[in-house]
Amino acid sequence: MAVKKDYKDQKLSEKLRDRKYYIPDSNPEFIKDVEKIGQTAAHMCYQCGTCTGSCPSAPRSSYRIRLFMRKSILGLEEEILTDPDLWLCTTCYSCTDRCPRDLAPTDAIMAMRNLAFKRDIIPRNFLQTVQLIYKSGHGVPNNDANRAARKRLGLDEEPETTHKYPEYLPGIRKILDHYRLKENADRILAQGE
Amino acid sequence: MAEVKKYEEPRIGVFVCHCGTNIAGSIDVKAVMEYARTLPNVIVADDYQYMCSTPGQNKIAEAINEQKLTGVVVAACSPRLHEPTFRNATKAGGLNPFRFEMANIREQNSWVHMHQPEEATSKAKDAVRIAVAKASLLEDLVPKSVPVEKAAMVVGGGVGGMQAALDLANAGIKTYLVEKSPTIGGRMSQLDKTFPTLDCSQCILTPKMVDVYRNEGIELLTYTEVEAVEGYIGNFDVTLRKKARGVITPAEAEVRGIVGGGCTGCGDCSEVCPVIKPNPFELGMAPRKAIYIYHPQVSPLIYTVDFDACVKCGLCVEACGDKKAVDLEAKDEFMTVKVGTVVLALGYDIFPIEKKFEWGYKNYDNVITSLEFERLICASGPTGGHLVRPSDGETPKRIAFVLCAGSRDSTGVGKPYCSRFCCMYSLKHAHQIIEKIPGAIPYIFYMDIRSFGKMYEEFYYRIQNEGAKFIRGRVANILEDPVTKNLHVNAEDTLLGRPIDMEVDLVVLAAAIQPSAETEKTRRLFGVSCSQDGWLLEAHPKLNPCGTTTAGVYLAGVCQGPKDIPDTVAQAEGAASAASIPIHRGEVELEPYFAQCMEDKCAGCGMCINQCPYSALSLVEKDGRTVMQVTEAKCKGCGTCGGFCPGGAIWMQHFATPQIIAQIDAFLLGGEQ
Ligand SMILES: Cc1cc2nc3c(=O)[nH]c(=O)nc-3n(C[C@H](O)[C@H](O)[C@H](O)COP(=O)(O)OP(=O)(O)OC[C@H]3O[C@@H](n4cnc5c(N)ncnc54)[C@H](O)[C@@H]3O)c2cc1C
Ligand code: SF4
Ligand code: SF4
Ligand code: SF4
Ligand code: SF4
Repeated sequence: MAVKKDYKDQKLSEKLRDRKYYIPDSNPEFIKDVEKIGQTAAHMCYQCGTCTGSCPSAPRSSYRIRLFMRKSILGLEEEILTDPDLWLCTTCYSCTDRCPRDLAPTDAIMAMRNLAFKRDIIPRNFLQTVQLIYKSGHGVPNNDANRAARKRLGLDEEPETTHKYPEYLPGIRKILDHYRLKENADRILAQGE
Repeated sequence: MAEVKKYEEPRIGVFVCHCGTNIAGSIDVKAVMEYARTLPNVIVADDYQYMCSTPGQNKIAEAINEQKLTGVVVAACSPRLHEPTFRNATKAGGLNPFRFEMANIREQNSWVHMHQPEEATSKAKDAVRIAVAKASLLEDLVPKSVPVEKAAMVVGGGVGGMQAALDLANAGIKTYLVEKSPTIGGRMSQLDKTFPTLDCSQCILTPKMVDVYRNEGIELLTYTEVEAVEGYIGNFDVTLRKKARGVITPAEAEVRGIVGGGCTGCGDCSEVCPVIKPNPFELGMAPRKAIYIYHPQVSPLIYTVDFDACVKCGLCVEACGDKKAVDLEAKDEFMTVKVGTVVLALGYDIFPIEKKFEWGYKNYDNVITSLEFERLICASGPTGGHLVRPSDGETPKRIAFVLCAGSRDSTGVGKPYCSRFCCMYSLKHAHQIIEKIPGAIPYIFYMDIRSFGKMYEEFYYRIQNEGAKFIRGRVANILEDPVTKNLHVNAEDTLLGRPIDMEVDLVVLAAAIQPSAETEKTRRLFGVSCSQDGWLLEAHPKLNPCGTTTAGVYLAGVCQGPKDIPDTVAQAEGAASAASIPIHRGEVELEPYFAQCMEDKCAGCGMCINQCPYSALSLVEKDGRTVMQVTEAKCKGCGTCGGFCPGGAIWMQHFATPQIIAQIDAFLLGGEQ
């Protein structure tokens, strides 16, 4: 277990915090949960870095998909679920395409996000997206600029989606309600205010 | 022999082994032993820590003597491991060794049921009961001795096959060395230098090639393939196809009565030949004519006509003149040779690495394979040893090496195994460019550097000291700058935790290897198995790495699994030694599991003849009747005919119907007969 030393100064405490890896700090069940939700054998990662090398997020952020794989194997649940980088995957699936161990790092990340959400850890913009989908059926709804561009290209102003067929919106809402996604998004967003 | 026997009153001894805790850890050995005592025909039952030890074996011999046993059962490990041991012990007690039966209660029981002791114990009782039932019906059998032909064959003339052939011939055995291409030498002759000593590959290989050529005990058959195989250990009849070479040797010329004729290797023919083709030896990077040799050091030094390309203009015939070596009407010829044993040394091919799209091989000019690198850095190669970028002929300065390219890859596109020599040769390549190109920097992208051999880790140290840069990360993808044709290598430096975009002049892919193209066909001809990855299967991965499960056929070199030259040569010597043993003994014993015809029951219908996969059966006239006859040496005891015969006239020795029925009864009736 990490040794706690209490310095009066909060900043100093953080700076000199014990950073060793202790087995009791890890949760061996965590990787099993990730694999069950993500349906991928994440514990078989051999840390080659092909995923990070393929990742469009990596060069522009501190997000390292390989490190998430590593930490999940070691059961560093707290560290993973509280890391804001967890939310920087674009779900492009480049890593999954190339992983030589035939793993799906993308799906492992999605699983970890699931587990984070269970503990109400989720960035606000993701929740706002939920609200937008609930409202319009779109994470990124159509807007005037888009409408103009579509018109120029000879397309209908509204795409063949809930924008054109709002009668399908209740169906989408039913799904979101069933999983209590909207309810949770509203609740968490309200807490933050 | 082929009559249903009247058996004497069976007296069986049962011995249960603890195997330390291997068996006793999950099976109640005492309970199994006590149970055995209750079984019909069992006169004595005992248990012991290690039945395979000398005291364990003595128990068997003593019990046979004291109790006048007629059969012995040992419940222990797999028969593959210790059946021979216990047969010998049975023999030592004065019984026929085939009166022994083994019950496997380790591999098939204690090891797989480690956490179910009760069930395991009850399963072990079943196994013992079944074995006792069979042992009660066992009969005396005598192995058949067959003479061994005093000749051997080696298929594949790479460094492995050459070494095996040399050893066999030097041990006084006539050896046929069969090589499919026009010259021996294999992959090693394509290499420039060899790790870790950096001696020149051709310089150390050529003398061996000459030895092979000159050795009177070796009949060198290049441009030749195995067409058909019949027979068994000691007596293989191998049919060879000598492909139409279109050029005759001086010896062949003499046979044809052309005095002083035959190919002298002068090359006059090739000079005049108008047809130009890529030379596969140079991986297509240099041309050759339709009449060609691969390279100046070929052995034998005899030209070959590529009849697929030849336009039959006849210019070469003219140029060759009085030597009359060129024969444009040549046809494939067939010959059959008899050999006692065979060594397969079929080598490997490079995995088609263009299948991994992300690295752009065959798409980007300046992405090459390591084997192409060997030819480009080699003084006798297509560029005279000047490493150049294929796109513009410039000398590259920044060179990236991609390790594990297609190896250690479980995606299905690529190979799951480690190709085992690519780490080491990539270190060698790094050294070669540092040595040859001033200011050049090798960047080695690796996951692990596997430098496990003698002086290999020291070689790694040396190359790092010379200035090679190591980046721990597998290359994610490579992109080409369409203007400069430079390459951007994308990876993560996993030690820094930082993505890399490295612009280099040349990329060398250390591509995975795979079994050579004809391996599958050839192994089937010899009845040799392969593992899931296609490499030929050794008889035992630790204790019999040169043998196969087909008696008389042995393995050498990479065809058994990736290995470098030292390991290839070592295995070749092992295979040659193993292959010479039956030949030097002069005869081999075949397990007497032959089919026997019970002539009074045989209707002579002959329907079994075509069923036999080994052509061991025939119809003969005997006492005015047509009956089936078994050629025992050909019969492998597979039981196909025995199971098929509509009249039940075939007796499968050691696996006879009454014995098998007794086993089934013993299992189903729970011993309550
Ligand atoms: C780029 C590269 C660099 C290397 N560098 C080194 C090094 O520096 N040091 C080192 O120790 N190792 C090195 N190796 C490994 C080395 O090439 C092998 O260990 C060695 O060639 C194995 O010899 P072999 O006889 O088993 O197979 P091969 O050399 O492949 O020979 C097999 C022979 O069998 C023939 N053949 C195949 N099938 C048939 C058939 N059905 N009938 C008849 N003939 C057949 C082939 O034509 C060939 O001549 C390197 C490998 C590569 C790819
Ligand atoms: S590519 Fe696959 S094996 Fe390699 S580090 Fe990423 S998840 Fe692990
Ligand atoms: S799916 Fe996510 S982690 Fe994988 S490469 Fe794309 S952005 Fe990166
Ligand atoms: S006959 Fe064939 S091999 Fe001879 S020179 Fe003409 S094309 Fe070449
Ligand atoms: S030898 Fe090295 S480069 Fe080749 S597959 Fe094995 S680890 Fe990878």
